[in-house]
Amino acid sequence: MKHSGSGSPRHPGHLTRRSLLASAALLITTGGARARVVTKVLPWDPNEAYPVVPVKPGGYLFFSAAEAAAVDAIVDRLIPTDELGPGAKDAGVTTFIDRQLMGPFGGHDWLYMQGPFAAAPLPSQGLQSSLTPRQQYRQGLAALESYCKTSFGGRDFVQLNADEQDKLLTGMEKGDVTLPNFSSKMLFSAIHANTLEGYFADPIYGGNRDMAGWKLVGFPGVRYDYRDVIEKPNQAYTLPPVGMQGRSAWGPR
Amino acid sequence: MRWRSAILFAALAAIGGAKADPDNYVIARRGRALAIAGDCVACHTAPGGAPLAGGLALATPFGVIMTPNITPDDASGIGRWTKVEFARAMHEGRGRNGAYLYPAFPYPYFTKVTREDTDAIFDYLKTLAPVTNAVNRRTLPFPFSVRALMIGWNSLFFKPGPFVPDPQHSPEFNRGAYLVEWLGHCGACHTPLNAFGANKADQFLQGNRIDEWTAPDITNDQQSGLGKWSVDEVVQYLKNGQTRTTTASGPMRDVVEHSTSKMPEADLRAIAVYLKERGAAGVPVPAAVPASDPRMQVGEAIFVDTCSACHTRNGAGIEHLFPRLADNAIVRQSDPTTLVRIVLTGVRGAGTDVFPTSPAMPSFGYRLDDDQVAAVVTYIRNSWGNTASPVDAELVKTLRSHVAGPVERSAAQ
Repeated sequence: MKHSGSGSPRHPGHLTRRSLLASAALLITTGGARARVVTKVLPWDPNEAYPVVPVKPGGYLFFSAAEAAAVDAIVDRLIPTDELGPGAKDAGVTTFIDRQLMGPFGGHDWLYMQGPFAAAPLPSQGLQSSLTPRQQYRQGLAALESYCKTSFGGRDFVQLNADEQDKLLTGMEKGDVTLPNFSSKMLFSAIHANTLEGYFADPIYGGNRDMAGWKLVGFPGVRYDYRDVIEKPNQAYTLPPVGMQGRSAWGPR
Repeated sequence: MRWRSAILFAALAAIGGAKADPDNYVIARRGRALAIAGDCVACHTAPGGAPLAGGLALATPFGVIMTPNITPDDASGIGRWTKVEFARAMHEGRGRNGAYLYPAFPYPYFTKVTREDTDAIFDYLKTLAPVTNAVNRRTLPFPFSVRALMIGWNSLFFKPGPFVPDPQHSPEFNRGAYLVEWLGHCGACHTPLNAFGANKADQFLQGNRIDEWTAPDITNDQQSGLGKWSVDEVVQYLKNGQTRTTTASGPMRDVVEHSTSKMPEADLRAIAVYLKERGAAGVPVPAAVPASDPRMQVGEAIFVDTCSACHTRNGAGIEHLFPRLADNAIVRQSDPTTLVRIVLTGVRGAGTDVFPTSPAMPSFGYRLDDDQVAAVVTYIRNSWGNTASPVDAELVKTLRSHVAGPVERSAAQ
């Protein structure tokens, strides 16, 4: 068949680029209050930036004292302090999670949060819950507290010994533990993911104190140019890690 | 036959009524080149406004002056001006009705622009499309609103008179002197001002702080001037907005983009020859801040972690992209305002036909507090062949409050 650029027939009902764009525009304009139509200008400014407000450790904005103690205990089992260095609790991960829960992450402000939610989702379908992280932590930790009191003779999670805590967490990870009215697997997944994030995110967010996580794995931090060292294979990389707010050699702040 | 003559005559009359006289095309083109060399557009154009239609607010120590409309609009521009009146404004600083103009209009420089050249500039301005833009010309507060004050100012600081070439120097040098000293009025930014807003003639082109920037020393000084620049490098800088090792930014970016990049290369070379031959300010080299100084150690750590990715560990930079800091007179200016400002707010370099990319540096004001900015700039000023005075954190604090947006202020809190 010979192609002719301008002579291709157009069938009625054929999905053209124009009709697709038109229907997309209709969806945008009728989609909801948050959608807006942008014409003629770009919806951002040159060099626009939203720098992080550094987290100041001390106290909790979201967690109650009991919730914070439980999270401290859980993250301390996930990444314990040992001969390799400070663990998640000592690196401020509970503070990191607390501050994240008070920000847009805590309300899933930037996620689509309307249904339908699949009961048996494919792995590729992502989060399938109407519960925001704030709701997951508040309801999940309450359910865990209630479960522990019932199952461990009035003791809560903090009062369990390390073996008991590990066994319980392992059960939650597998979904074998049944918490009252809450998915143990959902609670474990949330805390596990946020612990890794807090332990390895920039210290400016409240966790990874003194870049403990980066020192553990040898991550150089926010440096981005290695021309001076790339030509020196099999030699140790000696520069200390550096965070968004620098490092101790930058002087006191 | 009579009718045909009449029709022909009517056609001629219609042509005669058009604004541009075709006979002065060559003169008007020359006037355009002179207006570019004088960078009229820099001051006589409001942000986002029509070129040369005025309305830019010039912040002087005495109050705000709004620049006038110099398009040939009858009511709001120079449509009713004559060549003689225009030449008097340029040479004597007087308005059309004889009122005294303020030296924010650089008539103390333009006084030596030849009458032939002011006429050509006038002819060029008359070819522009008239733009109606009435500018408020009475924004100065009392007592500076009294224009007659300028009689006294002129008697003290204004030396009218024609340009006299120096026979000791080449025609090229004299052409450069005419462009730098008078038409280009480089001294308006690059020469320090006295308390009356007049240039200190004995410190001509030795550098000045203006609009929270350092207009650098452009004498042939080794420490802070053009002493280590070649004539070719000066030409490249003015023509392309950059040399291999440096990039024009700040107010000079506008000068390059609007003016020097559009000037003939022979004129740029004359400017370079003049600047190189004129002499040096003789700036004394201060004692170096020793490497053991705590500010140098903090500054080095910040430089390695923050700056070296682009400017490289030895300060050499990347040619045509990231300016060289090593052995750089800009870095050694006695006034570090520009360096501090660029670290705080970032800056975008000039973009020209030859190098259109206009490379930019991001701001670091959001990451570095006042002491840290002072330390890293002190380190740069005293490393890799540079020796200059240390930077005071108070200067950083003041500058931050003047030039930084909310983002760059955050690190100070």
